[in-house]
Amino acid sequence: MISITNLHKKLAAPVLRGVNLEIERGEIMALVGASGTGKSVLLKHIIGLIEPDSGDVLVNGRSVIQASWRELSEIRRGMGYVFQDAALLDSLSVRDNLRLAIDITECRRDPAAVEKRIVAALSAVNLDERVLDRLPGELSGGMRKRTGVARALINDPHVILYDEPTTGLDPGNVISMNSLIRSNRDRYGATSVVVTHDIATLADLADRVALLHAGRIRFIGTPAEFFSTTDPVVAAYTGRNDSDTPIEEDVWQATHVVATY
Amino acid sequence: MIGSIVASSLVTEVTPLFVGLSMIGMIGTRIAAELGSMQITEQVDALEVIGRDPIPYLVVPRVLAALVIGPLLMALALVASMLAGWLGAIATTHATTSDFWFGVRYYMRDFPMFFALIKGVVFGGAIAFVGCYAGLEATGGSVGVGRAVKRGVVGMLCSMVVLDTLIAPLLKIIRI
Repeated sequence: MISITNLHKKLAAPVLRGVNLEIERGEIMALVGASGTGKSVLLKHIIGLIEPDSGDVLVNGRSVIQASWRELSEIRRGMGYVFQDAALLDSLSVRDNLRLAIDITECRRDPAAVEKRIVAALSAVNLDERVLDRLPGELSGGMRKRTGVARALINDPHVILYDEPTTGLDPGNVISMNSLIRSNRDRYGATSVVVTHDIATLADLADRVALLHAGRIRFIGTPAEFFSTTDPVVAAYTGRNDSDTPIEEDVWQATHVVATY
Repeated sequence: MIGSIVASSLVTEVTPLFVGLSMIGMIGTRIAAELGSMQITEQVDALEVIGRDPIPYLVVPRVLAALVIGPLLMALALVASMLAGWLGAIATTHATTSDFWFGVRYYMRDFPMFFALIKGVVFGGAIAFVGCYAGLEATGGSVGVGRAVKRGVVGMLCSMVVLDTLIAPLLKIIRI
């Protein structure tokens, strides 16, 4: 379970202004919002890559914010993070990128078992062994993204954070990525937070949807509630707003928030 | 005499300075650009997420490599600069080869060479360290990588000048 309490963060301008969010164990939570509202910043707070100005993030009851480096490494061992552009190390082959995510003592003790895990992780994302010796630069965008997912899954995490996993993928790969996210939840009971702009993805995938707007969670509910609510911000986000009246917080948004971490 | 003049100017000051500038161009900028690019493409974040501390993984090997390669480059550059000095001396003055090398040996004895090699170690380490720091501080896309390299080069030049100023009196004290 992930619990975010009163999270504030200012980068060049205030990005998060008191975010509160509870994500249940085994739940798929879609995090949506306009570009630059701080969705990725929030995701990075959850895994401890950014320190907040105030507030706390608990993952399975342990504070990510107050953890020492050693404790944080331990917490992260149970978490996976799928980066927007995969973030594979350019100078390492696919095999070495995946091996890097596995504990170093395990790699030394039983290299054959580690190799099997690497192949299994790749096959879970529909990639075959032929890519093992290729460099990330030699892969297509979709293959890189799936390799990034394989790296996030290789330690069977109980929390997986996806930063725009379907952006830039063709429709076939979007469907297979969505079914992969769902199967990770079904198979391992993994709690998933998916940052997405893809309305079809959240309708198809999410148990609940949270809309981040003007530095706060503006809406939280099931996809059905998300698509039927009369909240003008949600309606504007989903393209259902036909009112010309500017939303009060949009003025703040337009003048303050550009979260480009 | 000419050998002493060539050795005194080249060994302790000019050659280390040019080796330092070359290391900034060849090693420092490369490190700053590489780590800067890794930073903005979230590869450094990815390392942290999978439990690898970026400092021992990315910084330490580069600084150690530069500490080793610095004096080696310095030694090569010293040989090249002395040969160039010898060529210049016999081509433009009446000095003979034996005159030249006698002058060089008279000046050098043991210390100046050691002095230059120490500078190679210190410059190498400082350049790699500043390059790493500048790269890891990069933000804001490909423009940010350019800014990181620029900041890195300025930092490396400044640190080289400061270290050069500090090393000279320090080594003279040690020599005494």
